[in-house]
Amino acid sequence: MIFGSKISGWFDGWFGGGFALRCRRLLSGLLLLGAFSASSATAFDLPQLMGLLAKQKSGEARFTEQRFVHGLEGPLNASGTLSFTAPDKLSRRTLTPRPESMVVDGNNMVLSRGERTRTMTLDSVPELQGLVEAMRGTLSGDATALTRYFKSTVGGSPGGWTLDLQPLDSRLAAQVRSVRMSGRGSEVLGLDMDFIGGDRSVMTIVPTRSAP
Amino acid sequence: MTSRQRRIGVLLVWLALVVAGMGWISRTHFSADLSAFLPQSPDARQRVLIEQLQTGVASRTLLIGIEDGTDAAQRALVSRSVAKAMRESGLFDQVQNGDASDWKAAGTWLFDHRYRLSTSVTPERFTAAGLHDAISDTLSLLGTPAGNLVKPLLDRDPTGETQGVAESLIPANAPRTEAGVWASRSAPRAVLLATTHAPGSDLDALTIAIAQVQSAFDAATHDMTGAKPRLRLSGAPVFSVQSRDQIKGEAIHLSIVGGIVMGCLLLLAFASPKALLIAFLPVVTGVVAGTTAVSLVFGNVHGLTMGFGSTLIGETIDYAIYYLIQARGAAIPGTGWQRWRDLNWPTVRLGLMTSVCGFAALLFSGFPGLAQLGVFSIAGLVAAALATRYVLPVLAPDGATGMGMRRTMAKVAGAIVRGLPRLRLGLLALGIAALALLAWRGADLWRANLSAMSPLPKEAQALDESLRADIGASDGGLLVVAQGVDVQTLLRNAEAASVRLEKLVDSGELSGFETVTRFLPSEAAQQARVASLPDSVTLRARLTEAMKDLPLPVARLEPFLVDVEAARNQPMVRREDLAAGPLGPIVNSLIYQRPAGGWGALIALHPGTKFDQGRLEAALAGLPNVQVVDVGRELGALYDRYLHEAFVQVLLGALAVVVLLGLYLRSARRLLAVCQPLVFAVVLTLGGLAVLQVQLGILHLVGILLVVAVGSNYALFFDQLRETGRADEDTLASLMLANVTTVVSFGLIAISNIPSLSAIGRVVAPGAMLALLLSAAFVRGAPPAPHVSSDRR
Repeated sequence: MIFGSKISGWFDGWFGGGFALRCRRLLSGLLLLGAFSASSATAFDLPQLMGLLAKQKSGEARFTEQRFVHGLEGPLNASGTLSFTAPDKLSRRTLTPRPESMVVDGNNMVLSRGERTRTMTLDSVPELQGLVEAMRGTLSGDATALTRYFKSTVGGSPGGWTLDLQPLDSRLAAQVRSVRMSGRGSEVLGLDMDFIGGDRSVMTIVPTRSAP
Repeated sequence: MTSRQRRIGVLLVWLALVVAGMGWISRTHFSADLSAFLPQSPDARQRVLIEQLQTGVASRTLLIGIEDGTDAAQRALVSRSVAKAMRESGLFDQVQNGDASDWKAAGTWLFDHRYRLSTSVTPERFTAAGLHDAISDTLSLLGTPAGNLVKPLLDRDPTGETQGVAESLIPANAPRTEAGVWASRSAPRAVLLATTHAPGSDLDALTIAIAQVQSAFDAATHDMTGAKPRLRLSGAPVFSVQSRDQIKGEAIHLSIVGGIVMGCLLLLAFASPKALLIAFLPVVTGVVAGTTAVSLVFGNVHGLTMGFGSTLIGETIDYAIYYLIQARGAAIPGTGWQRWRDLNWPTVRLGLMTSVCGFAALLFSGFPGLAQLGVFSIAGLVAAALATRYVLPVLAPDGATGMGMRRTMAKVAGAIVRGLPRLRLGLLALGIAALALLAWRGADLWRANLSAMSPLPKEAQALDESLRADIGASDGGLLVVAQGVDVQTLLRNAEAASVRLEKLVDSGELSGFETVTRFLPSEAAQQARVASLPDSVTLRARLTEAMKDLPLPVARLEPFLVDVEAARNQPMVRREDLAAGPLGPIVNSLIYQRPAGGWGALIALHPGTKFDQGRLEAALAGLPNVQVVDVGRELGALYDRYLHEAFVQVLLGALAVVVLLGLYLRSARRLLAVCQPLVFAVVLTLGGLAVLQVQLGILHLVGILLVVAVGSNYALFFDQLRETGRADEDTLASLMLANVTTVVSFGLIAISNIPSLSAIGRVVAPGAMLALLLSAAFVRGAPPAPHVSSDRR
């Protein structure tokens, strides 16, 4: 017996807050970097990037995040930790301003805020699944999952790369305009998201421990 | 002439009774639900279980799969159109296929009532600090993929109550969504879940609902080109309807095949079509009388009882065989029946009485299903015997005319009867060995459970499991049930349970649960929530303080102030108002009026990875009127009780048979001689089943009772032979023929696909044959036995 599983519009609200490994590349020379890579002789492409990323099986990082939302008098700031274990464990623990966490393991997602814990299945919300798959795919260097949900463009070089993603699924595309991940070698250092309606989030990631 | 008039009168009375019986049967309601095999005097948990099985949402839940076809888009199209047609039919309380658009009305209602429904609404939440935290949580969603969905509600609901309510309604194990509708994780299929409006016990209404699904599917796929999807149906309503149809079909099928085989045997024996027709009259009379009696006593006839009817052929046809053979050879034509009446009827009557005694034990069963079998057998046997006694003499005063193959039969029977006593020691040893085996295996033998009585094929069970897994529907294995004398008491009890269950969700023991109080809080809870809402002036002041370091301008929250003020004056949410709205069906599926008075609410659990039933029970301990019902465990306990009761009844029945025989025979020696083969037949049959590793259950016990009932007839005949020293060809032939027909009819049942029928057949077919052979083998066991082995007089 189940019911009410489809008040979906609202509860999409949930994953947004908990979810979103919103990263940001704060390097000022981002554009320059892009230009540099475009002119380089050997084009750096998706398989190469995935090859780099696949080398790292797990990692932990600190993040700081700024979100720019229309109608608010200033950015929303958050910080916390991220962790990833290939192929499908992903977690984001926000420490400030309010503690909350999101842990994805396989098809299950556990959201905690205060003392409340909620469990849900990823594939019951395809747009959420798309985002998570893209994230996990990138972190574990698996292009299949990524290309199923997004159109991807790689720029830069192994020493400084960007991965631009455009959602293919119409339901996700109604919320997210584009995602940009950036990094160096096998490390992801930034995640930016642009949303339909003009809101934006930028996340800076600082790896604290990584295992080969 | 008076005799002739009397005979015509007898015929007319008989005919009128049979026709009346048939008329009654044609209007009888046939059931097939498990509840007939549930006790009438259950304890509190069992009563909950029975209420659920009979009318609960589990008994009304249909699982629908739309499988294969071309692609997910096509299946989604069919899913939407089937769901739409089903909703419009009015036959279903709810139809869900994962399509979010159907929830708009419900969503609006929940939003409008959020301050009455949200468990977060407490006085603390509306202090400056509480508001600060709640609004911070909501802001944390902005600038994320969900931001656009939260934003429109921000000004009216900055504390995120709507989100809290919605979030609590999302099942932890929601189905996968594909092309906008629910889909399987393991197979290419779209899945739907529906609850019929009709209760699970109304099989006729369920049949109509199922047909509606089929026709909606046909209409949806009619104009499709290319590969069409297939419709897969499962769930309790489908099983009930299928079981009934299957049992009905099998009973008819068995009766026809049994009738044909029996007819051939009788033709061989009598070489007379007239005799054949006459032989079937007591059978028909018995089946009609049995069914009518059950219908009159119980108001309905269970499918299993009907199936059992076909077994009665085997026993009732014996009466006709004895009569047709034994009434032969009268010195004056037309007086054969009188000789039979004086000489043989007393034995037949005694056999009948012992059978009735045996089955009478079942009448006192607390299980309507078993009691039905008892009523059916007694009425059927008595009617068949009466038909033999009064109708057959009118139609065939001198028995059957032809001789057919009976001489050969008599020869074979004679040879067996002469030869068998030599095997007595061997049989005795075998019997002791079987007894030892039974004693050694003990209770371990009786391992069959309630599901062994279910006629569901394995594939149907597999499909059901697979569809349930797709939908994330619990199989109803573990329920929490709250009760109350009225709706408000019930809701308060359910809320108390929810508070404790919520802790288990937070600790990961449960991944979620479903309770009606999320839509319909008790009036006490609603009052407390509304009392937590400050008035406009206070709220405005607190809000200003709370928003000091938040980037959201206070000026934007005017709609929030308006909504809170409105909520303070909102009327109570009541069940009656809810029932008419979009959430009515859900509320009705989670709350129910108990047949015995009062109300019950169902709380469905979704166990998490750390789930432990002991801790669940401990967590809910001490709450008034809240019970944890483990359906499997309760059914197991029920079955054990049922088995125990059946044991006692079978023993009492057997005891009654022995007492009756003792009263008639008035001789311990003869009584022992009659009982000995019966006991050995039962022991050897059970021993054989034990060797074959058959798991024995209640229906095997009923079978044993039948072996005793049928076997006592044989034993009595041999007792009569021993006492009178007469063993003419015809008696031997009639015994042999009666036995062969019994063994054949039960043998047919033994290979039936319906487990409950085949269980009876597998006991009675070998048991009846053994009873005859052993009766013959032990016939000289008593000293000084007259000579009986002549096959010719």
